[in-house]
This record gives sequence, structure tokens and C-alpha cells, in this order.
Amino acid sequence: MTEDFLIEIGCEELPPKALETLATALVTSLTNQLQQAGIQHGAVRSFASPRHIGAMVSALEAKQSDQIIERKGPPLASAFDAEGKPTQACLGFARSCNIDVDQLEQLETEKGTRLVFKQQQAGLPTPSLLPDMMIKALNQLPIPKPMRWGNLTTEFVRPVHWLVMLWGNDIIPCEILGQQASNITYGHRFLAPEPLVIAHPSHYENLLREQGSVIANFTQRKEIIKQQIEAQATKLNAVATIDPSLLNEVTGIVEWPVALSVPFDENFLDVPAEALITSMQYHQKCFPMTNHEGQLLPHFVTISNIESNNPTQVIKGNERVMDARLADAKFFFETDSKQTLASYQERLKHVLFKEKLGTLYDKSQRIATLAAYIATQLQADVSQAEQAGHLCKADLMSDMVGEFPELQGVMGYYYAKDLPRDVALTMKEHYLPKFSGDDLPSTPTSCAVAIADRIDTIVGIFGINQPPSGEKDPFALRRAALGILRIIIEKQLDLDLLELLHEGYSHYHELANENTVQDCFAFILERFRSWYQEQGIPSDVFAAVMALRPTRPLDFQHRINAVNEFRQLPEAQALAAANKRVSKLLIKEGKEDISRDIQASLFENEDEKQLSKLILDKREQVAPLYQKADYTLALTTLASLRTPVDRFFDNVMVMVDNPEIRNNRLALLANLRDLFLYVADISELQ
Amino acid sequence: MSNDPSQTFQGMIQTLEQYWSQQGCMIMQPLDLEVGAGTFHPATFLRSIGPEPWHSAFVQPSRRPTDGRYGENPNRTQHYYQYQVVLKPSPTNIQDLYLDSLRALGIDPLTDDIRFVEDNWESPTLGAWGLGWEIWQNGMEITQFTYFQQVGGLPCKPVTGELTYGLERIALYLQGKDNFFDLVWAHTPEGTMTYGDVFQQNEREMSAYNFEHADVPFLFQTFDHCEQQCKKLLELNLPLPAYEHVLKASHMFNLLDARHAISVTERQGYLLRVRSLAKQVAQRYYESREALGFPMLKTDNR
Repeated sequence: MTEDFLIEIGCEELPPKALETLATALVTSLTNQLQQAGIQHGAVRSFASPRHIGAMVSALEAKQSDQIIERKGPPLASAFDAEGKPTQACLGFARSCNIDVDQLEQLETEKGTRLVFKQQQAGLPTPSLLPDMMIKALNQLPIPKPMRWGNLTTEFVRPVHWLVMLWGNDIIPCEILGQQASNITYGHRFLAPEPLVIAHPSHYENLLREQGSVIANFTQRKEIIKQQIEAQATKLNAVATIDPSLLNEVTGIVEWPVALSVPFDENFLDVPAEALITSMQYHQKCFPMTNHEGQLLPHFVTISNIESNNPTQVIKGNERVMDARLADAKFFFETDSKQTLASYQERLKHVLFKEKLGTLYDKSQRIATLAAYIATQLQADVSQAEQAGHLCKADLMSDMVGEFPELQGVMGYYYAKDLPRDVALTMKEHYLPKFSGDDLPSTPTSCAVAIADRIDTIVGIFGINQPPSGEKDPFALRRAALGILRIIIEKQLDLDLLELLHEGYSHYHELANENTVQDCFAFILERFRSWYQEQGIPSDVFAAVMALRPTRPLDFQHRINAVNEFRQLPEAQALAAANKRVSKLLIKEGKEDISRDIQASLFENEDEKQLSKLILDKREQVAPLYQKADYTLALTTLASLRTPVDRFFDNVMVMVDNPEIRNNRLALLANLRDLFLYVADISELQ
Repeated sequence: MSNDPSQTFQGMIQTLEQYWSQQGCMIMQPLDLEVGAGTFHPATFLRSIGPEPWHSAFVQPSRRPTDGRYGENPNRTQHYYQYQVVLKPSPTNIQDLYLDSLRALGIDPLTDDIRFVEDNWESPTLGAWGLGWEIWQNGMEITQFTYFQQVGGLPCKPVTGELTYGLERIALYLQGKDNFFDLVWAHTPEGTMTYGDVFQQNEREMSAYNFEHADVPFLFQTFDHCEQQCKKLLELNLPLPAYEHVLKASHMFNLLDARHAISVTERQGYLLRVRSLAKQVAQRYYESREALGFPMLKTDNR
């Protein structure tokens, strides 16, 4: 027999950004517990609105399946004596289980065979198990900040006002979070304040929608909001900008969404669009609209939580608020525009970058010098890179960024409009990439400053011994390191990371960590690992290249590609094994530094002669390839060594008694290994 | 009708006084010191410490020197009014009580879009934090609603519910105006008096003082002096006057901030100094109430 089950907790307005996560966690915990308890069920539906959180489980088994209770007894070895008679321990255990010794069973465990008592226990009725399951599920919720209220000791996301626990038509009597279970819920705070009786769990969602003016299902409500926004946009022949995280948040704020299109004073369109959009999205939680060419229109869509009896008043109110907000933005923009970006730079002297690492002014000086150095390497415009470096943090001192911190860089771009285009672009682009998959800086100047800024931060923070540890990375150095690698590789910049770090280090004074440069280098190379992992590069390919610690990231990338291709060749496995063998041999004999000179006169065997000749040939063939860093072709060329190498190992004895012959053979092998080591340590390949 | 909340600023205040008075609140008067918000009033900060219940409501003139705009911005001023309601322990129906106060003011939640938007409050200077909402009316924040969880570093048991109304903003809506200074304050025998009549000159002059003329060395000196006095008064076991010195130091800090006299770098240090005082005051105040046997606790709750 099965029955439907409903839990609902009525709360004061829950935090919108956490809402969906909380509902999902509730359902996950509940279904896990049902599974553990051996209770079958049908579909599960979660509910999450500002004042309602809950779940419905359809066709839940009314009774738990019968349970086997297992009680472990003494090890078999100590349960019976030499004559096979039960020991005291064995008898005692049987007695405690109320059975005879011969009813005990045996169980294989990690610690050997033990006696065990197995008992079948009839399953319990599901409704009797549900209250504890719900309490456990609620205790496990990932509540960002639990709170107390009134004079209660209960803690929850927000104060709780009612609880529904319904098993078919019946209330499951229990008390959770200080509330007695009932079958009564409440609808929308204003549209449907009267109690609503839920006759059966399957009625719940419709009841709330039809009589409660609440769309309880999060996904459904979100879809309705999206459609409403788009409908409003269509009416204005516009395109709505729907930021997914804002859509989620708004879904968490309303129970009965009603989209309204609101105009604002079009004079505000003089202010940079980014500032207007931030005001709309971030402060007012509204959706901006553009024309089909992507230009901002003087309209936005707000999602109200009421079917107002006078929508015009709601629209007017929103319009007034937006105008006031945008007036502030316009005021700040105009005030800022009266000054040059350079004049803000002076004020950075009063802003600490980080204790022991100077002010933001000091940092921008260092960025400028380092960016100029990078521009030289890239044969880009050095003076522009230097200028952009000096100015790149100046907009932090503007009123606009003070008011809208998320516009850092963007405002710098607007305030640098009179400067060379690349300098202005660098103001915003040097913050790129901001997240995984984000765009990269588009010009050599912005790349130089972006790299310089990140190198400076990484060097400084490592310099004062505060590198990231475990989960903690307060200065986002991992992201910074990955940013450097992405820019260098995807923009194909021929830069030497180690040199950059030395250069960055030289602009600091008295950093406590003497190993800063090496620590930073190791840290950044380590970022490659996860990066390549995400790209599906096998870890042994990474290890083969990493073993050489190439200092130029672009070169690192070329080697990765080459080894990855080589790995697919039929010869790869044998050559990797040979390299491994050679490596081990050389290490074992302490001959890694052996002289590479080979004496042809000492060869006794045709196969070693042959290999020696081939190695010389190959060396000549690959030398120009290495010059061009054409590692792929080089490794392909070397692949044909497979057969001669195999033959050598089959037919030549390396560790002979005669030391001269032995060393000559070791030297030959060292030469072989060197050929590959120009590219990677392919002995790492599996 | 002079006390119609939709006609005059004072009528609106009277309506709130009357409403909360009917809900059993003590109507207090504003604190006679410069503070940035009603939360600093001892009737909020100190009364939310310890187990004794407390229900009060009051207007608190609030000063935020950096918000001055020389009387030229329609809705930003360095001096404005908050209406503060403090309910301890927070009653179960506190949200309904609040919404009824809006209805008393003539705001109809079936017409206007009233939303509770998450806003978790934290005061770095008071060592206090709480969870709650901004209340939005048609997109405008009109009230902050907070369940205090910690004050002066002490956990709130029971929890105080704090409602802070932004009076000018609500008045704008009720009177259908776009500018603070156009709000009707009262009708007098000589005609209609506006908020601007009362405060525009004050905004102009106080902005000039806050941004241009406040004597920086004196402010620094006074900050140090207040800090010293606060510590001394704490040693003498006088948490109430000690608290007044926290407030004075805090205002000195705000003025110094407006004068750009404190670099961003030093800012944190000053905030921490005020917080440290506030925490010591909170602790000492708790102990002093405890020593008195928490006299406002009814015996059955003690």
C-alpha cells in the first residue's frame, strides 16, 4: 500500500539566494533517508517560495520493508576451544541474544570470521518514521546563517510560523521547530491571508495556486517570471536582459509574480550604460531592456509580488525610485568627469594594498614598470603599457566606483577616453579574465598590464609568506595564476615566467620569503595541472612535461601537445618503457652525469652500432626541429627508434664486467634519453 | 486635519507614535547626542543586552556627515529622521504589527507592492549583527527590519526585533512629493511650513562645516579624549556615561571621515577602537544589570 506525503514549513521571508539550495537539500536528505530505511517511493517534488518550503513524495510505501538486524559477536577463533566446544565468550553472546549457540551464523569481516546474530525485524509504518527523518533533514540544511527569534532557543533560517505534515488525508502528529503539525497552510501574505486546509498532499500545489495566490514550485515560478519579462519586452519591441542569477534571486523574493514595465527619464542615458544596468540589476533587482541593436532603452521590468488594484501607482513608485537612483549615478559621473584619471592616482597613496606591500599607489608603480618590461618582450608599445599600468587602479578613487564597486575598471575606461585607445581599454581589460571561461584582454597593452598586475600580487603575497593553503585563498591567487597562464598561452605570448617573477620580485624591497620566486614559479606551474586535467589531457602527459619544468608557458603548451600526440603512436609505449628502463639504470649506477662521448671502437655488437648511428642521425634531424620548437614532428621522428631500441635491449648486455664497455653502453643510452628529454621526460608515460 | 499622515510630516510621526503606543510601547524621546541611527540610542543598543524585556518607540534625529549634499540633492541629507521601534522579545506577530502600522499610515499592501527583501545588518562599530529585511514599497526601501542576534559582542537572549522607518522617504510617498525639502511639515497660522523651511539652510551650513571647516586636530584630539574617558568610566563601573563617550567618539570619527582626514588604511583601525569600547560597555552594562538582579524581569521569567 502506498500513500502521498507532504511536508511544508511556513516561514517569514526566506533568503532568496539560498532558497533553491535549501529546498534541494531538504529533498536530497529526505530521499536518502527513505532509501536507507528501505522505503520505496514515487516522484518527489520540492517547493520553495519566500514563505513556503517543503516537499511532496508521491506513492510512498506505507510500511518499511522488513529489516535484518545484525549483531556481531566474538571472532570465530576465540568462540570455540580446541575441542570445538563453545567458550564463555561465545555462550555469553548467545545468551545476550536470547538464542542457542547453534543459531549463530558466521560473518566474514576484515578482521577475520566472526559470529553473528541475524534477526529479521518487521518494518515500521512509514508515518512513524517521517518526523525523525524530517528533523534530521532540517538539521542537515546548509543554512548560511541560522537565527533565533523571540525568546525561543530554536534556530532556523527565518522564524517559523506553521508546519504541515500530511500522510494522505491524515496529519502526522509531531512537533518540529516549535510547531505542531497540522493540515493548514497560508497563502500570499496580502492576497490570501486566511488559513487553507489541505485535504490531501496531491491537492497542495493547486490549492496554493488557485486559492492561495502562491506558485510554490521554484522552477515553475521562475519560468513564469521569465515569460512575463519577455512579454513586457515584446510589447515595447525591446529585448530584456535577463541575468540568470538575478532571475533566481527575484524568483526567491516573490510568490505571485506580476511583471510591470516602468519608464525612466531618458536623460539618464548619458550616463555609462554599465552604471545604469548595475543600478537596475543590483540595487533595484530589475531587468534592463535594450533595442534590437543592444542599446539601452529608458525602460525596465520589475517583478512585483502583487496583483495590485492600482498598478499605475506601483509603476509610478518604481519610476520615482529609479530616477532618484540614476540621478545619484549621473551626479557621481559628472563630478568624476570634471577630474582627470591621473588626478585620482595621487589619492591611491592613502590606500593600503596590503600590509608590508605598500599602498595601491606603490602597486600601480610596480605594475607600470613590470608592464613596460613585458611590453618590451612583446615588442609592444612600451610607453602605453607603462601609462596604462600607472593609471589602472586610479578609478578606485572615483565617486562612481565608491558607489558602485562592481564598476571598477569600467569607469576607468570611460574616464580614460581622451587617452590612447589601448590605454583606455586596459583600464577595464586588465581585470580579465575574471572567472573561468571569461574573455581575455584584447590588446598587447592590456595583456601586459593584466599579467603584470597578477605577477605583482602573487609575488607580494608569497613574499610575505601568506600563500594559499587548502581551501583558503583569500587573495584569489589561484585564479590569478590561471589568468596569467591563459593569457600567455591563448594569446601566444612568448614570455618566460621565471624571468617575469624575478623582475616582479626586484620591484619589492625586503620581502620576508627568500624563496619567493621559486615558490611562485612552482605554484603557477602547479595550476597547469588542474587546467590540463579539465582539458582532458592525461595526467602522465602532464607529468612528462612538468618533469622538465619549462619556464615559458607557451613552450610548456607546445610540449604538452607534442607528447599528447606522441602518446597515441603505436611506438609510444615501448619507447616510454625503454626510457624508464634507461632512467632507472642510470640512476641506479649513479651515472646520470656520465660523459656522453661514445667510442665506436668499443662496440661489440651490431645492434649497438646500429642504435648509435641512428641516434646520431636523429640528433641531426631533430636539432632544427627543436630550434623551431616543433616538438610534435621531433617526437614523431624519434618514434622510429622503437625497433632498434628494442633490439638493443634484446641483444646487448649493458652491465658487463668490462668497465669501459659498460660505460660506453651507458653513455649510448644516456644519449638516447637526452634526445627525448629535449621535449619531455617520456619515461613518465604509462 | 493636522494629524492626517498623508498631509503633514508631523501628522505622520503622530500616527506612528499613536499606533505603537497602542501596541504597548513606551514612547521615548530622541537621544540628545549626535548619532548616525536610532540603533545607537541607549533604548536600542543597551536595552537589547541581557534578559530584560523592552518595548519602546521613538523618533531619532540621525546625522551622517558624509551624506551631506549642501541641501541640493532631493533625497540625501546629512541630518534626517528615523522612527525606531524596539520589541524585546520580538513578538511572533511582529511582521503583522509592522504591516498594520503601514496601514495606519495609509499604505495599502493590496495596492502597493510591499516586499521583504533580505538584508542582513551588521554594525562594525557596535559589534552587532542581525538578520532581516529591507521593506520595499514599490521598489523603495522604507524600513529596515532586523532580528538582533548579537550586540556589543554578546548574544541576544531574548532576541530584540528592531524596526527602523525612514520617515522622509515614507512622507515623500504619502504626500506625493519628489523632494525632501518640499515635504509639508505643518500648517501654521502663517501658512504651510515645509521640510525645506526648517532644514535647507541647516543642510547647507552643516555640509560646509562637515566637509570644509570641522577642525581636524580638535576632532582627533576629542576622539582620543573620548576613548580615554570611556575607559576610565568603565573602570569606575559607570557604563552609561562610558557609552555616551562611545557615541561621541563615533561621531568624531564620522566627521573626520567627512573631512577625508582618515586614510582608507587607517579607517579600519579607528573602527576597531570604537568597537572595542562598545564591546566593553556592553559587557559592563550587562554586569551592572545582573548586579541589580535584572529588575525589569518578572519573577516568573527570572
